[in-house]
Amino acid sequence: MSLARVKWTGLLARYGLTLAFLAMVLALAFLSDRFLSVSNLLNVLRQTSINALLAFGMTVVIIGAGIDLSVGSLLAFAGVVAAGLAVAGWPAYLAILAGLLVGVILGSFNGAIVAYFKIAPFIVTLAGLTIFRGMTLVYTGGRPITGLPEAFYVLGNASLLGLPIPVWIMLGFLLLTHFILRFTSLGRAIYAVGGNEEAARLSGIPVARVLFFTYAYAGLASALAALVLDGRLNSAQPTAGTGFELDAIAAVVVGGTSLFGGKGNVFGTFLGALIIGVLNNGMNLLNVSSFYQQIVKGGVILAALLIERLASARNQ
Amino acid sequence: MLLQMKGISKHFGGVQALQEVDFDLNANEVHALVGENGAGKSTLMKILSGAQPADQGSISLAGENISLRSVTDAQAHGIIMVFQELTLVPDLSVAENLFLGHLSRVVNYQALYKQAEAILADVGLQLEPSRAVRELSVGEQQLVAIARALAQHGKILILDEPTAALSAAETERLFELIEGLRGRGVGIVYISHRLEEIFRITDRVTVLRDGKLIATNEVASVSTAEVVRQMVGRQLQSYSRSQRRVGATLAKVDIQTSKIAQLNIEVKAGEILGLAGVVGSGRGEVITAMFGYQGHSDWGKHRVHEPRDAIADGIFLVPSDRKTQGLVLELNIRENTALAILPQISRGGIIQPKTERQQVTQWIKRLSIRPPEPEKLVWQLSGGNQQKVVVGKALATQPKILLLDEPTRGVDVGARHELYDMIEQLALQGLGVIVSSSDSEELVSLCDRVLVFRQQKVVTELTTPFSYEEVVAYVTGAR
Repeated sequence: MSLARVKWTGLLARYGLTLAFLAMVLALAFLSDRFLSVSNLLNVLRQTSINALLAFGMTVVIIGAGIDLSVGSLLAFAGVVAAGLAVAGWPAYLAILAGLLVGVILGSFNGAIVAYFKIAPFIVTLAGLTIFRGMTLVYTGGRPITGLPEAFYVLGNASLLGLPIPVWIMLGFLLLTHFILRFTSLGRAIYAVGGNEEAARLSGIPVARVLFFTYAYAGLASALAALVLDGRLNSAQPTAGTGFELDAIAAVVVGGTSLFGGKGNVFGTFLGALIIGVLNNGMNLLNVSSFYQQIVKGGVILAALLIERLASARNQ
Repeated sequence: MLLQMKGISKHFGGVQALQEVDFDLNANEVHALVGENGAGKSTLMKILSGAQPADQGSISLAGENISLRSVTDAQAHGIIMVFQELTLVPDLSVAENLFLGHLSRVVNYQALYKQAEAILADVGLQLEPSRAVRELSVGEQQLVAIARALAQHGKILILDEPTAALSAAETERLFELIEGLRGRGVGIVYISHRLEEIFRITDRVTVLRDGKLIATNEVASVSTAEVVRQMVGRQLQSYSRSQRRVGATLAKVDIQTSKIAQLNIEVKAGEILGLAGVVGSGRGEVITAMFGYQGHSDWGKHRVHEPRDAIADGIFLVPSDRKTQGLVLELNIRENTALAILPQISRGGIIQPKTERQQVTQWIKRLSIRPPEPEKLVWQLSGGNQQKVVVGKALATQPKILLLDEPTRGVDVGARHELYDMIEQLALQGLGVIVSSSDSEELVSLCDRVLVFRQQKVVTELTTPFSYEEVVAYVTGAR
């Protein structure tokens, strides 16, 4: 194999995702005159923020070689609890904190069962998916909660320094997640446990505690997403977040994080979420039927993974 | 003559694994194949079972030359290997396993069970054919695996360490089965480290050493001492030990495993203690239990249930399998080396990059890990350098007692001597070092004292000076 070829595939493996993203942006800029407008780009970011938040939490879980299917339902429950308490007269900031706390508690529930009872995360969080949805329906009686205080609206729609608040939240959480993964001993331990649990245990890493944390963190991420969604809709829907876990997993995987654990980073996930967001936005602008949109989205996810697989296979 | 292998040679890279080895087997014969690790036993048998091609040499079956291109090829000729790790499917029934790969598309279970019963009865096994293999004891599984080989019209059975995981009673049943096969035209190649067994049930014993045929003996006219001499063959020249003085007792450890109720071992400062024994002798379980891994131990202060407990007490284990237990292959040299000292290199939970780099570069230098690049992913390193990373990770914790389980398995000679030097240095610095190894030569090179394990018991304790021959004799049960 020639040197040029090696370099080319190496570049593709490393920057393929970025290149694909830029190509997509460029194509949409040509196809639609509205795409590159500031208001549309901000709109894409705002729409992406919810999936991105879920995906950041999911990244941490997946690097630990787990999976969390319950994030969509968890989002719904945290969302209705915060909204419900606010409507019931709690001060908005307390209601918001309670929503976050609920997220951490439900995530911890998943984490405790996975980590301490050693049950497969797929099963545990699949159960969580239906349990949390059921809890949401019981709590709301199946009806949306409306009439939220001003603070929620601000959270979902206001802007600061030209960027919408949800985008600030997304960027803040992106940096926090990156910091944890990259610079703390906990983050290092997550990679180790996900890469080789046995080796991690033999190195004295508290494996169960580390796994527990990843699910609690995903719970926090979902609750943040829930608050943003409450604010954007100015209400809390009991059916909110249905199917969101799949978009989040898609963003993580497109972003280059291995489903086998031990490998990946949150910036890749961010890019993955942006690709999915731009794709949705672009297809809406081009009036692609929502039926076709699903097919295209699935196709793009597969294509991203195939390119990466081919490039990394060549590189070895 | 049933089988004749002539002038078999095989090399891997620059290593000559087999050099013009002859081996033959008669019908109704049990022929033992012995030799230390790396002598070439398994390579020879891989060639016979079609798993690997020979570079040179011929194989003939009943006087006719054959070529074995694959395992299926060999099986078609009736040559079947019964593996050390069993290859039955645990969730299928005994009958299904017996005929696995030869089942009709739609299975008539009544007929299948009937056939299975006949085969089982034939080898004197009383088992319900519909039982799941998972429910059987290891010994019963071994017998089923042999029955399966016979069901597939095996003419030549290769048994690789068949008694390694068996209890004494199960071993007896296996021997009965083997005796029962005499007079049926079947030939058996019996690979084992246990000379007692070999002298009980085999007719001839062939000794390999360093890929060469040393001798083929009639068991009736050779002594165990002679076989041990053939296995050992030479004086050790390769590694010269340093002068050490063994210090005071560091700790006394009580050990419990699933098979050993109670064992007490004394660890001394500056001493390298060896644990010798074949696979299944209990040696491996003892060293992991000392670390609170797959067993418990008590170092005098408190019970150790988890590796974490042991690490906190200044004990560290370099595990036997670096790929599945020692390393996180996706991470780099730096991250692996620092894995066990995360609390020490962090402040407020945040890793201090400078402290980390100092630690890591220090161990890369002291262990001469190549390439000396902290950011190199460990799966890209050679086996020897991977092992050095695991040792570096262990030493970074500054243990008082270092446990090494098969420290040089799959490590080339150069790196092996570097590791030996390191281990000796540690002992000179006053650490207590325990080495568990299936390589008797390694133990002779390194250890001041060796405990020999056989059937979950310490059968003898050797202190310097002792010879390679002595260790092998005790390990194989010749003494």
